[in-house]
Amino acid sequence: MADPIHQFQITPLPGLDFGEVTLPVIGTVHLAFTNSHLAMTLAFVLVIAFLQVSTSRAQVVPGRLQAAGETMFGMIDNLAQSIIGHDGRKYFPFVFTLFMLVLMMNLLGMFLTFTATSQLAVTATFGVLTFALVVIIGIAKNGLGFFGLFWPTSAPLLLRPVVGLIEFFSFLLRPVTLALRLFGNMLGGHVALKIFAGFIVSLMGVALAGGVGLFALPVAALSLGMVIALTALEFLVAFLQAFVFAVLACIYLNDVVNLGHGH
Amino acid sequence: MAATPSAPPPVLPVEQAVEYAAETGHVPANAAAAAAEHDAGGLPQFEFQHWAGQAVYLLILFAILYVLVAKVFAPRLRRVIDERAETVSSAVATARSVQTEAAAQAEAAKADLEKARADARATAAAAKARVTAEIQARQAEEEAAVAARVGEAEKAIAATRDGAMVHAAAIASDTTRAIVERLTGKAPTAAEADAAVKGAA
Repeated sequence: MADPIHQFQITPLPGLDFGEVTLPVIGTVHLAFTNSHLAMTLAFVLVIAFLQVSTSRAQVVPGRLQAAGETMFGMIDNLAQSIIGHDGRKYFPFVFTLFMLVLMMNLLGMFLTFTATSQLAVTATFGVLTFALVVIIGIAKNGLGFFGLFWPTSAPLLLRPVVGLIEFFSFLLRPVTLALRLFGNMLGGHVALKIFAGFIVSLMGVALAGGVGLFALPVAALSLGMVIALTALEFLVAFLQAFVFAVLACIYLNDVVNLGHGH
Repeated sequence: MAATPSAPPPVLPVEQAVEYAAETGHVPANAAAAAAEHDAGGLPQFEFQHWAGQAVYLLILFAILYVLVAKVFAPRLRRVIDERAETVSSAVATARSVQTEAAAQAEAAKADLEKARADARATAAAAKARVTAEIQARQAEEEAAVAARVGEAEKAIAATRDGAMVHAAAIASDTTRAIVERLTGKAPTAAEADAAVKGAA
């Protein structure tokens, strides 16, 4: 059976491997344009192409593609404004970029042999980027008041340091949970797909031998059914995880944008 | 791991193989096998030498897309969405004003109709009154004429009766003279007979 982990292997594209360098803090870095870079680039180009085509000749009465683009746009716009409030428009481009990139990488993974968002490096970059933005905006907007985020005024005074400490650690864990949620979903889905698809191939091999091996046929059929069902589920997960990422980014941004009022 | 040395690499223990690789730049066969074994044990996602390249590249792509969304795509879509909202609201406003206008016109038409109906009613009433008056006048005229004729006829009847009554006295006196002449053989004078008749009457 094919190795279900093999699909996550990073391999430099032929002719684009520039060898390894050792940097002081980071350690060994393999400089190459890999299949992961290719998948990211494809997603990036597709997002731009989609947005360009759906907005280039934008009309008051939208065409099909424009309606699709506007649906995406409106969904994230409503999300940002309903969670962050009036300031939501300012942070919309970030959330929308995040959502479109994650969504396109997830969806591309359904069609290609490589899924960029199943790389922890990619999801961690998204997570750390979101976290860094939240911290920067929090400090820029509130100054030292940013640390009020970890001082729960609604808790009893005695418990405040404890609750605050818990808040602080859960805040620090946000990029980790953001990265692991997306990574785990994509990893698990694609491994499951690969395993069930591998079952079909190996069971058919058994069945072709004839005799008792023919009992493998119904199991192979069952595996095929699982693959079909999982594929549908994975499309849903691809969208849902991108949406969840956008929702959480909005919630985290709201924490620091509207710090001190409404909480 | 693409090492194609001219001579087949020697088979060495792993730690020596790493040294060998560092010295010669060639990967011994069992070192490659060890690396493969290591790969099979863990997820390829945890090969950290690939992290920096992916992260930096993704950040660059993200930055470009962010600028494009913020400067090009979002304003475009926002413009058309705002434009649509404006078009819809202005169309609704127009429709509303047209509707109120139509309602006002309908109200005016209704008032006109009421007025016309009242006029017609008044005209009809006037005509009826006029006709009634005319009929009454004509009736009165006719009644007067009839009454006059009745009066004339009554007068004629009375004259005829009076005449007849005069003749009746004369006839009675004549008859009286004849009767008296027969009975007495002597005819009374006309004046005596008349007096007798008048006295008898």
